[in-house]
Amino acid sequence: MADRFEGKIEQVDANRWRIPKGSQPGMRVDGLIFSSAELIGDVISGGGPKQVANVAALPGIVGASMAMPDIHWGYGFPIGGVAATDVDDGGVVSPGGVGYDINCGVRMMRSNLDAGDVRPHISKLTEHLFADIPAGVGVSGPFTFSSKEMRKILARGVEHLISCGLADASDAEATESSGCLEGADADAVSPQAQKRGADQCGTLGAGNHFVEIQYVDEVYDARAAAAMGMKLGQVTVMIHSGSRGLGHQVCGDYLKSLRSAPGKYGIELPDRQLVCAPVKSSEGQQYLAAMRAAANFAWCNRQLLAVQVRKSMSQFFGARDTDARIAQVYDVAHNIAKIETHTVTGRRRRLCVHRKGATRAFGPGHRELPACLRPLGQPVLIPGDMGTASYVLLGTQTAMDRTFGSACHGAGRVMSRKQAIRHAQGRRIDVELARAGITARARGRTGLAEEQPDAYKDIDAVVECVCSAGLASKVLRLIPMGVIKG
Amino acid sequence: MSGRCETFDHTADVGLSAHADSPEELLEVLAECMCDQVCPRKNVAPDSEREISVEAPDFEALTVDFLDAVLGAIQIDRFAVASVKVTGVTQTSASAELLGTDLDPRRHEILTEIKAVTYHELEALERGGQWTARVILDL
Repeated sequence: MADRFEGKIEQVDANRWRIPKGSQPGMRVDGLIFSSAELIGDVISGGGPKQVANVAALPGIVGASMAMPDIHWGYGFPIGGVAATDVDDGGVVSPGGVGYDINCGVRMMRSNLDAGDVRPHISKLTEHLFADIPAGVGVSGPFTFSSKEMRKILARGVEHLISCGLADASDAEATESSGCLEGADADAVSPQAQKRGADQCGTLGAGNHFVEIQYVDEVYDARAAAAMGMKLGQVTVMIHSGSRGLGHQVCGDYLKSLRSAPGKYGIELPDRQLVCAPVKSSEGQQYLAAMRAAANFAWCNRQLLAVQVRKSMSQFFGARDTDARIAQVYDVAHNIAKIETHTVTGRRRRLCVHRKGATRAFGPGHRELPACLRPLGQPVLIPGDMGTASYVLLGTQTAMDRTFGSACHGAGRVMSRKQAIRHAQGRRIDVELARAGITARARGRTGLAEEQPDAYKDIDAVVECVCSAGLASKVLRLIPMGVIKG
Repeated sequence: MSGRCETFDHTADVGLSAHADSPEELLEVLAECMCDQVCPRKNVAPDSEREISVEAPDFEALTVDFLDAVLGAIQIDRFAVASVKVTGVTQTSASAELLGTDLDPRRHEILTEIKAVTYHELEALERGGQWTARVILDL
């Protein structure tokens, strides 16, 4: 079972809980968990606080070892963890701070259709998408890339797909980092990792990944919604996937190759899964180059999934004399490490910001945001589980000041997969969802049971906590109509 | 073979818990149990053979690397594994023969994808003549 934290956790205010430095040997900074009183019970029993305290031991960490309200146990870092290390003061980068699914993330697209147009067809539309979108374990996609092309994907991300006619400039503009991280190096990605991902670009995968047809159920911020081209009742598509086997292999490769780095650099760690190296070291630079390449692969994966969704929906509605047009709203990473400049105790510092199960939430005016969204802040896409709501939020200046511009990434699990399967025994999750007006199709035998709504925290409570803490503000709530899973 | 391996529940993932009389047997039962999580061996014919060998700084890391190599055979090289025979093992090295066949989704059921073999709460050691291991797989 996950380690239960026996140290001190003290409430700071309605939305913050502190693990004081010194609660556990080796902590260099406090731990800080964003949570409400309603959620803190699950947070503590979920094993995350012990990991927040472990992360506080990383060399060069600044501010606090933080976690969002969707925190739950992960490998090394908790899911929902945010930690920034000072690049110019011995700060480290840790593959455990990114996770195995490098640049797992969320893409949201808007359509020109209303819920009323789609609802009569949702069952057939879901079947149609389920037939067209490669999903599930061991399933390859329709896109095959030569090894030369794969290297371009790894090095240039979505920019390469634009040159192939598989993306356009508006897709890239509406993607975090324009879908391409500078400093990616295909040579840092092992041949095994490249082979593992060779036929997976444009495939959904399994587990909690999905394509969802949703509609806008509530608008909280009309100005921001209008800037995103969104309105009440509008149908949207959300894609949740990552870097597939390529990213898993990159993480595994570097956990192995960095084994000797802590000894070499005199770093003591409370958990082997937190293995790390100074950002400026050759080992750290090599990992970052590979991680960036895997991140570029993930953006291409979501782009190619989007291409297939657009084509599939266009064909489906075209056969019904309806012109379905799908445009991208935004795409965010929620498992990534990036070099960013932030103000810490009044000084501008170059930081390696790890977000593992956390979303970048830059506030208004940030130069990295697309021009049309810059006055508002960055869209923060929060996928719910398949039976409840998803949210579109906006990043804030408070997030910049308190969390290095970060917010939550989802609801967060409260049940293990096996627990969820046991909980679903004797039940038909698909029938229960259908009663709620949601058509769900999954390739695997246990996919719907593992991902049932009861397996997750209450997304409304998680989002409420993040917004009450000032890390983001609500723009839209989205309700699922059709879901496909691996 | 007196060694045995069973799975246990772990947050979002699955663990393997194994006991055996020797390190060879320990790695074999762990690897075969892991294979059953991905592609059940009962449907796999032992038509051909693959060899794997790994080196690591200690026996725990070796256990991870060994399972990772078996996983690579299935998930990267698409080789469905019927049985695992360890041909040599020390505290820091291991080699094995994998019997199996080319993975064919029409004939072989693929149950899940394992992202990685992890180091979390990893245990692999000899105690009183018995070899035991606990390994968590990230799904």
